[in-house]
Amino acid sequence: MATESNEQKSRYRQYLEMVTGPLEDKRRYRQYKARTEQLPASYHTAIDALQRYMMFFGPGKADSLLAMLEDLADLFEQSAANGTPIRAVVGEDPVEFAEAFLRNYPEGQWISRERERLANAIDRVTDDKS
Amino acid sequence: MGKQVTEMLKGTLEGIVLAILSGRPAYGYEITAWLRDQGFSDIAEGTVYALLVRIEQRGLVDVEKVPSEKGPPRKVYSLNAQGREHLEEFWRTWSFLTERLEQLREGGN
Repeated sequence: MATESNEQKSRYRQYLEMVTGPLEDKRRYRQYKARTEQLPASYHTAIDALQRYMMFFGPGKADSLLAMLEDLADLFEQSAANGTPIRAVVGEDPVEFAEAFLRNYPEGQWISRERERLANAIDRVTDDKS
Repeated sequence: MGKQVTEMLKGTLEGIVLAILSGRPAYGYEITAWLRDQGFSDIAEGTVYALLVRIEQRGLVDVEKVPSEKGPPRKVYSLNAQGREHLEEFWRTWSFLTERLEQLREGGN
């Protein structure tokens, strides 16, 4: 996963990014989209469908979301290169695959916050703080 | 392959992959191909990949990117010390589980 160097940003850039959000994130996203467009048509359609689902349930933090999408692109590029059929990549139940994949990127997922909230609420009424 | 074996495989896949990697380093496609050869024909490439991402995040494997003649570079995974420890724990748990199940089958619980 490529991380941007920690070079000092210009003041102009700092103000600009207050409005636009980090430009590196946009660059990474464009790079990811460009990679998906290089895939054979059916792989491209499949990764778009997975992306749509994962954007609903996936990390709310840009960095974590981009890491997830880049990992997904790695998988699809490898599979296309190996000639692995899409069904063999995502399995009989694509939702199950998407969920298993999503669990690797819990950071900033709204559902993670709700899971934590549930666990804490039960902890508070049961004395079981472990 | 039946639904039951898929369900059982889910809980043990991590141990299986660590065990494969304890023999020699491998990349994702090799691991899936091996599993399919062994009769786990329903296993999805993506499921194995998601698991590899997870064990990498948890620091159980070391990863090296190796150029490939076709397509993008491959990530080759090898078991590290922490992974080896985790695998030993998996085998201990496995022994416990199989012993108890065998007792149940023989009716001597």
